[in-house]
Amino acid sequence: MIFDSYEAYRAANFTPKVCILGSGPAGTTIARKLGAAGIPVVVLEAGSREFSDESQDFYRGTTVGDFYFDLDITRLRFMGGSSNHWAGWCRVLDKQDFEPKAWVPDTGWPIRRTDIEPYLPEVRDILDLPAFRPDMPISDDIRWVQLIKSPAVRFAEKFGDELDKAKNIAVVLNTCVTELAGDGKRVTGARLWSNGQDAGSFSADYFIICTGGLENSRLLLWSNQRSNGGVVPNATALGRYWMEHPTFEGGNAILADYNAFEVDAVNEAFFSPTLAAMERLQIMNFGIRLIETPYPGVKSLIADLACTAPSMAEWMSYQLSQRLRCAAQLYVAWEQAPLASNQIELSKTDVDHAGAPRIELHWKKTELEHRTLLEGLRLFGTTLIEKNLGRVRIADWISNGQDYPTNDETAGHHHMGGTRMGTDISKSVVDANCKVHGMDNLYVGGSSVFCTSGQCNPTTTITALACRLGDHLSKVVTV
Amino acid sequence: MSFFIKKMSRRAIVQALIALPALSLFRKLPDADASHADPSRADPSHTGASRADPNEIVEVNGWILRRSDLA
Ligand SMILES: Cc1cc2nc3c(=O)[nH]c(=O)nc-3n(C[C@H](O)[C@H](O)[C@H](O)COP(=O)(O)OP(=O)(O)OC[C@H]3O[C@@H](n4cnc5c(N)ncnc54)[C@H](O)[C@@H]3O)c2cc1C
Repeated sequence: MIFDSYEAYRAANFTPKVCILGSGPAGTTIARKLGAAGIPVVVLEAGSREFSDESQDFYRGTTVGDFYFDLDITRLRFMGGSSNHWAGWCRVLDKQDFEPKAWVPDTGWPIRRTDIEPYLPEVRDILDLPAFRPDMPISDDIRWVQLIKSPAVRFAEKFGDELDKAKNIAVVLNTCVTELAGDGKRVTGARLWSNGQDAGSFSADYFIICTGGLENSRLLLWSNQRSNGGVVPNATALGRYWMEHPTFEGGNAILADYNAFEVDAVNEAFFSPTLAAMERLQIMNFGIRLIETPYPGVKSLIADLACTAPSMAEWMSYQLSQRLRCAAQLYVAWEQAPLASNQIELSKTDVDHAGAPRIELHWKKTELEHRTLLEGLRLFGTTLIEKNLGRVRIADWISNGQDYPTNDETAGHHHMGGTRMGTDISKSVVDANCKVHGMDNLYVGGSSVFCTSGQCNPTTTITALACRLGDHLSKVVTV
Repeated sequence: MSFFIKKMSRRAIVQALIALPALSLFRKLPDADASHADPSRADPSHTGASRADPNEIVEVNGWILRRSDLA
């Protein structure tokens, strides 16, 4: 059932066991799992069926530190969440992303990739994905990896009918949870905001927060402040260890044979380091995206190469004259080290229409990340030489240690961490089952539980974790 | 010296260093110092450039190249 207002929902006299906040990929997936298990579940969704400026305005905030996107353009606040404009690039975090990196503090998850692998067939159905292919090492240092460009499932569009017909799922639109109340053991209720005003308190046996990788932290920080620590009793790590995938054009490659790698429909291929290479160089994971360079770009590369390696420049000119593809731009996205100082805080001066403080995001890239970018491109360049595949040119700003450009991709719109998973309560917020430490009935869904970011887009892993949490709750919740 | 280095970009320094062996002044220089260390290099016609391993990987102007790729 889908209700367009809280009043309409109230009139239906539906009694849920579980209350999910947010109808993005995480919330929708968990609701479908619980619904299928016969558990009555309500999904409270702040937005409506369509985008509106009024709803989106709740997402405004500020960033302190490195340049980042405006917080109200890097996500969407209506039914289906940011799946309404995601690009659909899919890959599961690597096995090694779950394991601790001895050379980077605070890495490693309390679960392993094998814990989510059983859910991958389900994830493929949900996200309309073909089979995943294993990575292919092209040298001791570099893997040729698969990043599936999926049809970018819009969750509200794909599952809207199913949710509407489901008898034990109620999706309530235009209903925002402004804060949770708790007594340090249980969430006792949720404060609602609907139709531009306070709509009273809401209760259910279990609450699952799936409001996105920025908003999950904000809601918990605000709720905890209002209830004197009664919602997240161990809050040292709350809002902290926030991560993105910084993404920048890192240079170019000339390729002896562009067809050496099976490129996708838009002539792109992806490469990542092996664990051994990361360990040897003490760097983070990264993904190099190879994109065909447009004609003018090839010409300036030839000019650049002419005085350094003239015969190679000559070869390129010939390729170009034959209209053969021979050059690529290299975009690099990389894993950020989890840092407590990269964090979501509540603004002290700015509140939204419902009176909740807006986000102040503190985000800075570190020296380790610059090294990951530089050494990553060097690894790739060396591999291309050793395998007679081509040559790499690293962008000047990287070699010269200059500032990150502000006119580049910047990041992936991937909001990770803030309520990270772990066993150490001083460094994590949820346990291996995504349950908030110390709370009996509060869970978190989405990439805010990520301990590390890996290098790939998060939604495939978010969906797998949501399937796992749905299964877990199906066993825990009694009807 | 340090004043000039500070004023020059890393790229410009690297370019200047690459240009050095191309100057005839440098090309004609016998490798006197090296001959002390390694008798097989005593031949005065040997220059630094011709001795280098052509397969060595070098970074020039941001390009990652084999030495044999260089001009
Ligand atoms: C431009 C762009 C491109 C992207 N491309 C990719 C990609 O190619 N691959 C990939 O893996 N990921 C991509 N992403 C990221 C992807 O969209 C997110 O990872 C994913 O949507 C997160 O799902 P979620 O359910 O956790 O949160 P969201 O999708 O953010 O959903 C949260 C939901 O909660 C609702 N909500 C918020 N606050 C409240 C509240 N207080 N009460 C009730 N409801 C609330 C929101 O309205 C929203 O519907 C992209 C993102 C953007 C912005």
